[in-house]
Amino acid sequence: MSSDPHNPTSSFAQEVAREPGGEDINKCVQCGICSASCLVATYERRYRPRQLIQKILLGEREEVLRSELPWLCMTCRLCEERCQEGVSISEIFHAVRQIAAREGFIPNTFKRTINTLMEDGWLLKDAYSDMIEDDRDDLGLDTDLGWNNEFVKRVKERYLEGGTSS
Amino acid sequence: MTVEHASKTSASPESAGGVSREALVVGGGVAGMQAALDIANQGYKVYLLERSPSIGGRMAMLDKTFPTLDCSACILTPKLSEVARHPNIELLTCSEVKSVKGEAGNFTVEVLKRARYVDVDNCSACGECTDVCPVEVPNEFDWGIGFRKAIYAPFPQATPNAFTVDKRGEPACRANCPAGVNVQGFITLMRNGKFDRALEIVREAIPFAGVLGRVCVSYCEEECERGMVDEALRIRDLHRFLADYERMNGRTKPEVKTDKKEKVAVVGAGPAGLSCAYHLARMGYPVTVFDAKPEPGGLLRYSIPEYRLPRDVLDDEVQYIKALGVKFKMKTNVKSIKELFDKGFKAVFIATGASVSRRLKLPGEDAKGVYHAIDFLERVSKHEPVEIGEKVAVVGGGDAAIDSARVALRLGAKEVTIIYRRSFVELPAIKSEVDDAMAEGIRFMLLTNPVEVLTSADGRMTGVRCVKMRLGEPDSSGRRRPVPIPGSEFTIALDNLIVAAGQVADPEGLHREVKCHERWGTVEVDPITMATDTPGVFAGGDVVLGPATAVKAVGHGRAAAVSIDRYLRGEDISEGRVSTRRRVQSYEVDKSGVEIEHRVPMPRAPPAVRSDNFGEVELGFNEESAVVEAERCLGCAVCCECKLCVEACTRNAIDHDMEDEVVELNVGAIVIATGYKLFDVDEYPRLGYGRYNNVIHAMEYERLINASGPTAGNLIRLSDGKIPQDIAFIQCVGARDVPKGVPYCSRVCCMYGIKNAVMAKEHHPDTKVTVYYADIRAFGKGFEEFYEMARTRFGVHFVRGRVGEVVEDKTTGNLRLRVEDTETGEVVEVEHDLVILSPGIQPPQGLEEIAAELNMQLSEDGYVQVLDEITAPVDTLTPGVFVCGCADSPKDIPDSVSAGSAAAMRATIILSQGEEGA
Repeated sequence: MSSDPHNPTSSFAQEVAREPGGEDINKCVQCGICSASCLVATYERRYRPRQLIQKILLGEREEVLRSELPWLCMTCRLCEERCQEGVSISEIFHAVRQIAAREGFIPNTFKRTINTLMEDGWLLKDAYSDMIEDDRDDLGLDTDLGWNNEFVKRVKERYLEGGTSS
Repeated sequence: MTVEHASKTSASPESAGGVSREALVVGGGVAGMQAALDIANQGYKVYLLERSPSIGGRMAMLDKTFPTLDCSACILTPKLSEVARHPNIELLTCSEVKSVKGEAGNFTVEVLKRARYVDVDNCSACGECTDVCPVEVPNEFDWGIGFRKAIYAPFPQATPNAFTVDKRGEPACRANCPAGVNVQGFITLMRNGKFDRALEIVREAIPFAGVLGRVCVSYCEEECERGMVDEALRIRDLHRFLADYERMNGRTKPEVKTDKKEKVAVVGAGPAGLSCAYHLARMGYPVTVFDAKPEPGGLLRYSIPEYRLPRDVLDDEVQYIKALGVKFKMKTNVKSIKELFDKGFKAVFIATGASVSRRLKLPGEDAKGVYHAIDFLERVSKHEPVEIGEKVAVVGGGDAAIDSARVALRLGAKEVTIIYRRSFVELPAIKSEVDDAMAEGIRFMLLTNPVEVLTSADGRMTGVRCVKMRLGEPDSSGRRRPVPIPGSEFTIALDNLIVAAGQVADPEGLHREVKCHERWGTVEVDPITMATDTPGVFAGGDVVLGPATAVKAVGHGRAAAVSIDRYLRGEDISEGRVSTRRRVQSYEVDKSGVEIEHRVPMPRAPPAVRSDNFGEVELGFNEESAVVEAERCLGCAVCCECKLCVEACTRNAIDHDMEDEVVELNVGAIVIATGYKLFDVDEYPRLGYGRYNNVIHAMEYERLINASGPTAGNLIRLSDGKIPQDIAFIQCVGARDVPKGVPYCSRVCCMYGIKNAVMAKEHHPDTKVTVYYADIRAFGKGFEEFYEMARTRFGVHFVRGRVGEVVEDKTTGNLRLRVEDTETGEVVEVEHDLVILSPGIQPPQGLEEIAAELNMQLSEDGYVQVLDEITAPVDTLTPGVFVCGCADSPKDIPDSVSAGSAAAMRATIILSQGEEGA
């Protein structure tokens, strides 16, 4: 009656298990309760958490890392709430994304989003409307938010480009 | 921990007085029964202890067994009767292990045998009692989907074959009533429309269903459990209805049976005296009641206004007491107690009350226009002329104050003010009376106290000077002491002042002949027996308590009557008088599913109609509203002690006064066979159990398809009685669930789930049956074949995938399951019309307590730890204590029975060391 983890079935599963958050991968018994609970799966036919875990367990390393499916998890953790084996599915997908990112497999959508953020310092540039500008003006605030301004530059310098700035 | 490990103890069994040749088996399920039979058949005596009223355990509840589909009852019943008839087996049902001492070969076990209230040897299980029992509650044996009575046998083959009364103790209402009225009893009979029998129950305690139904302060309602949900029952108004109903429909003359010789004198015809006389007369004593007033009733007649208590109601109930043979000597002043004994009375009850108004000792209190409440009310009650002006104030906050104010209003006062020195919270009068007074326009001047009555030159009062008060520290009565605020004096012009500041006993009364309280002048009595310091003289009511309530006086009268009866028969008057009955605790009363339903309002005459006359204000319930109100009773104690069963039983087998007893056993070995607890499926809100009527669990399903179950074996939906067309079984509910604390496989659910699925097909071959599972563990002999048969021969559909959630369709009551068929990868939403959860099993409730008593180790999962899983699977870590059935791990029936036999063998190895005939 102990809950010994099952033996890893692939080297990729072992790799995920070594990654922080991926430890529980081998507890999965493939019962499918995650897929049956997943809200993303309701809207995206290709997204089935159990099948993705299965691919990891089977060692489909390239396919998983190149897929954008691990990036679709919205971390609502409903599957974890219901999983009877105590597997943290969203943590596993986080671990998978870590590996993928290290190897440069980031879906274009996500790349574009990050690039926008890096360039503008604000993710929602399009949301900056005339009305908000008027509001800021009324409130006596500077209407020029200075996209691509010095702040983003300094952040990049400090955290992303070797920390030369102090 | 009272059991010593063998290694730690110095005394060997021999030195401790030899090895006992008797054994105790704890738990009367199939494993325990097998163990008991195997020990008994080797010639040793066995005590088979079972917590519930019948042995048989869970197997008795099952419909069929897997994998052979044998009828569970057909296999078990012969075993049940074998156990019942075995000369070496003694059944201890309704029992629990209280304590265990000693060691292997020589245990001393204390067993608590709960009262069954039915003599097992005398009961023939004819069922006459069940037919008349008015209390219906969910049947635990049917897992709550069926009902049983308060006196019941859980199932037809119950062993021992005797009924049981489910009585949880004394309900709050009855425990709180100073006169001990069996409230739950009369209310239960009212719900069933048995008004005359209900009134009989009230009359067992009080002669005043109608009088107290109007004037009682209702201690019973204060702690009514229904009040924890919404509002307390209107208990008082309900017994008033019973009296009204009788008065409207005629009464049968009470039976007079004055069969005793000893004459008893009661001094004082108030509620205490009348109650005492009533109870003595019912016991057969000749009783004479003496009173100085022209009519009996005491303050009920001479103080309580007629709009609260119409005199014909009082007369009627006094008449009932007279009809019992009680003699009244009115307008008679009894001079001394000795005089009564000289006249041949053998015992005396003093109930002369406290009907002298206390004086405030204010300057001007004797002025013309100042009344004292009791005199004022008495004169009004006697219809004597009483002069009342336009502006009247009443001092005090008790019932006499409210009565005086409302009477003054009815006598023509235009402006009536109640002056009370504390705040509204402390106001002691009955709440509904205060509300009525306010509705009639009476004003309350709180935190105010009079200091002087102002008088004119001709000695007539003109007004009152008052002072404002604030509340200081609590005084000895627990209420905050009012303190005058200096300089806050003010004057009110008044025509009359009525002082209602309490009453005292007549300082010259004959009660002064017995020992009285030095300061209060009240009689000192034993609070239980009402005995004074003089033999044969008892006292009760206000003369003992000071001004109190009518119901307390009635209670005193009843208690004194019991004492007088014992005294006259030469018995000990105090023995066994203190009630040891346990009160039903609030948490023990199941309030789940009780919908908010406010008390039925009491119809009242509107203020405009009532405030200038003495017509009754509260008009009383009609039959319909009385029953509706009675239906709100939660039936806290289950059995209401109406005792209809006692009448119905032709063999005198029912005894409601049975008490729990403790039995001491000396045994050489103990077998633990305490079974399992079904996982509580409420812990899976996602599966909808408890919220959706058509989601049930496997044990409910077993009872549903069982021929002796609540539907006589018809597989239907309980929500609408429809035959299910599409049934789903959900496996692994509360098993193999790490976050829920049950990581282990329960071992039986796969097979019983498949069996249940097959049985659904057996009942309705056209019904679609689907089993949702993660793995099928068909590991035993014939199991895999059974699984195969379910799929192929019966057409049960198996889907590999755990169900995410169950959602109900509100209109059809059908259920939609979201699940991934892991064999196809398809996530689907499937509709079923009945969902059955297959819960796992857990260690039984109470096992921890037994383990602590036996110094027995439990495993991490809470099961009994065995010495060695492989080589000593029925030995516990405590020598002489063995285990079988599901107490140490989940098992199916054959494995449980095998373990029972094994444990029996291990136990008899110890017993055999004892000397025969020792």
